[in-house]
Amino acid sequence: MLKRKNKLKQEKFDITANVIVLFFAILSLFPLYWLVTSSFKNSAAVVKMPPDWFPKTFNFQNYIDVFSNQPALKWAMNSVIVSLVATVALIIVSSLAAYAFSKLQFKGKNVIFIIFISSLMVPKEVMIVPLYRIVDQLGMVNSLHGMIWPNVATAFGVFLLKGFFDSIPDSLRESAKMDGASEFRTFFKIMLPIVKPGIGALFILYFVQVWNDYVWQLVIGQEEGVKTLMVGTATLMQDLNPNFAYKMAGATVAAIPMLVIFLFFQRYFTRGISIGAEKG
Amino acid sequence: MERKKYEKSLRIKEDYTLKKLGLALFSIVLLLSLLTACGNDDKEADKGKTDGKDTVEISLWLTPQWKGVIDSSEEGADFDSFFKYAAEKFSEQYDKHDVKVNVEVIAGDQRDEMLNVNLNGGTPPDIFFESVFAMGDYAHRGALAPLNDIVDDEAKQDIEQSFWDTVTFGEDIYFYPFSHMPGTLVYNADMFKAAGLEKYVGSADAIQTWTLDEYETILKELKANTPEDKYSNAYPMGLYALNNQGDTWNLAYLRMFGSPFFDDEGNIVLADEKGTKAAAWLKDMYDEGLTNPGAESVSSNDVNAMFQNQQLGVSFTNSVLYNNIKADMASGNVPEFDARLANIPSESGDPLSFTYVTGASIFDTGDKTRMEVSKDFVKFFSSDPELVKASKNGVPVRKSVVEEFKGENPLFAAYEANSQYMFSFTGNVPGYNELRQVLYPELQALYTGEKSPEEAVKDYQKKGNNVIEKAKEDSVIYNK
Repeated sequence: MLKRKNKLKQEKFDITANVIVLFFAILSLFPLYWLVTSSFKNSAAVVKMPPDWFPKTFNFQNYIDVFSNQPALKWAMNSVIVSLVATVALIIVSSLAAYAFSKLQFKGKNVIFIIFISSLMVPKEVMIVPLYRIVDQLGMVNSLHGMIWPNVATAFGVFLLKGFFDSIPDSLRESAKMDGASEFRTFFKIMLPIVKPGIGALFILYFVQVWNDYVWQLVIGQEEGVKTLMVGTATLMQDLNPNFAYKMAGATVAAIPMLVIFLFFQRYFTRGISIGAEKG
Repeated sequence: MERKKYEKSLRIKEDYTLKKLGLALFSIVLLLSLLTACGNDDKEADKGKTDGKDTVEISLWLTPQWKGVIDSSEEGADFDSFFKYAAEKFSEQYDKHDVKVNVEVIAGDQRDEMLNVNLNGGTPPDIFFESVFAMGDYAHRGALAPLNDIVDDEAKQDIEQSFWDTVTFGEDIYFYPFSHMPGTLVYNADMFKAAGLEKYVGSADAIQTWTLDEYETILKELKANTPEDKYSNAYPMGLYALNNQGDTWNLAYLRMFGSPFFDDEGNIVLADEKGTKAAAWLKDMYDEGLTNPGAESVSSNDVNAMFQNQQLGVSFTNSVLYNNIKADMASGNVPEFDARLANIPSESGDPLSFTYVTGASIFDTGDKTRMEVSKDFVKFFSSDPELVKASKNGVPVRKSVVEEFKGENPLFAAYEANSQYMFSFTGNVPGYNELRQVLYPELQALYTGEKSPEEAVKDYQKKGNNVIEKAKEDSVIYNK
């Protein structure tokens, strides 16, 4: 009798919890729904009150406008290249540095690490002008290089991955050494596979960050051919008579790769976030 | 022995795998880096000499203005079409240098970010084509070069003095006027008729002028008599104060009772009886429900959208917005209704009229050759008889172009007739862009009841004059 009562109580709790979760899921997904459906409306219908919860007519003109007369595919390609190269390069550099900070012993290790981490406290906006000057002197303005390499020089990856390396017992490294493995092989064959969830998380977090790095890409990519999708679609907007539906179509196009990446790396993303939080 | 051999082979295999993986990663980065380089190959090729003349490369930035060279119906019409065509035509006839013009379109909200970073980085564009009001601060900062030497008598005669006044800061001309975009009110004539206000509806080709009393009657009648079944959730007038968007109309409303707004020294003088009366009028209209509710959290874009959805009887507009609404109606993007123009009324009976002059400015890059070529190019596209026809996409500043196209667009004549009532909404004061950040919080406080009309205008004047005072200290024009 008591068991049945408990079971009923548990079921009630589950139902309530599921309803709450469902409610928040709908709440979270609603902006995405609104974005996609609005991209098929006309501008006036987007801001209509009371709103059309479902588009009365499906109008593909906004998408046609985004892709016609504009090198939108080139912009998308640029975004992919910039985000991918910067992220892969960051992972290579950060994993090596994080491993060194975590497992190697050298003079001034803690001081250097503190300097590394304190650089995270400086907002990027503060550095834009000096960074722009450096990039300009290197001849990288109006090139994808100028968007990529400054993004690799960040301590974010080192900070994230060091936590993962710290959680690996030192004995593992010592055993590998005793078996005659070189430092690089120990790093590459033993340590790196263990921190795979961290690398996955770093990949997705940083890919998203670079993809959305509007201001830097804006000031560096001034020419049509080197614009990224974020900057390019924003350029099409007129100050006057802003076409909201067109904006929604541009935002949808810019969001699709992010959604695809999230779906593929969802496992790493959630695992990485939770593990990263524990390490933090 | 065997074991050692096995371990050795295993190590070789591991080494091989390691190398392979390392190589693969390196290759990915290298390959993608090479791909990034591909986009920049043609840059260097453009420099050097051709035909014995030096090649001079200049950059022109613009915010989206109109599509096509002369008309948006042209094939492949885009925002940069006009300047690309003008550059080609200019290069063909220019004998001092071979000129290459790099045209870049940037969004209006990217303008200041791009300009500030590039100015600080020492790489501003050579030419910027934009509304004068948005660029005036750059003239005060000393970033722009005066254009007095490229303005000739022919241009001075063909373009009204009021436009030259708008582009003159101190004693120098900093912008070459190309077209303008007058700001007015727009009203839903169908809604007026449905509310029994036929007698206030003007001609479709004219800008109707109402007295302030008539305007108040219109708003009250709209509130009382607009049929709810046909126009649900509709309000008589659009009012907004969320941000600085469309603040020029708010500035115009504050002049309704005769306030000159600025004195001769470029200080705000709104906190007098006239300015307070105007603020009180806005608050009264708002409190009586003659405007949309929640003006403090509504933007001009929202108001514009409400008008398009026929939820407002009277709204704000300018020549481009008005043309766009008409075009959207024709293409079926917006439900069709009869939208007509009216002036902003005033107590004196004279309409309040303002315009956004658009034109080219030249940045002082310090490179004499590039600045000379830039000036020649600006003069060329701002005065070439074929190219100036493109100004019909806005409202032409040249009388000759208005004359040529007024048959095609009868409103050109109406806009021209309005020019006698025009006021300079910026006063060409330094710090205007920052000044814009001061007004809307005061209007928000007014609409929410946090401040009385008197307090709102007084605080605006105080804060605004602080901004102007500070900007004057840094203004090269005020410190000449």
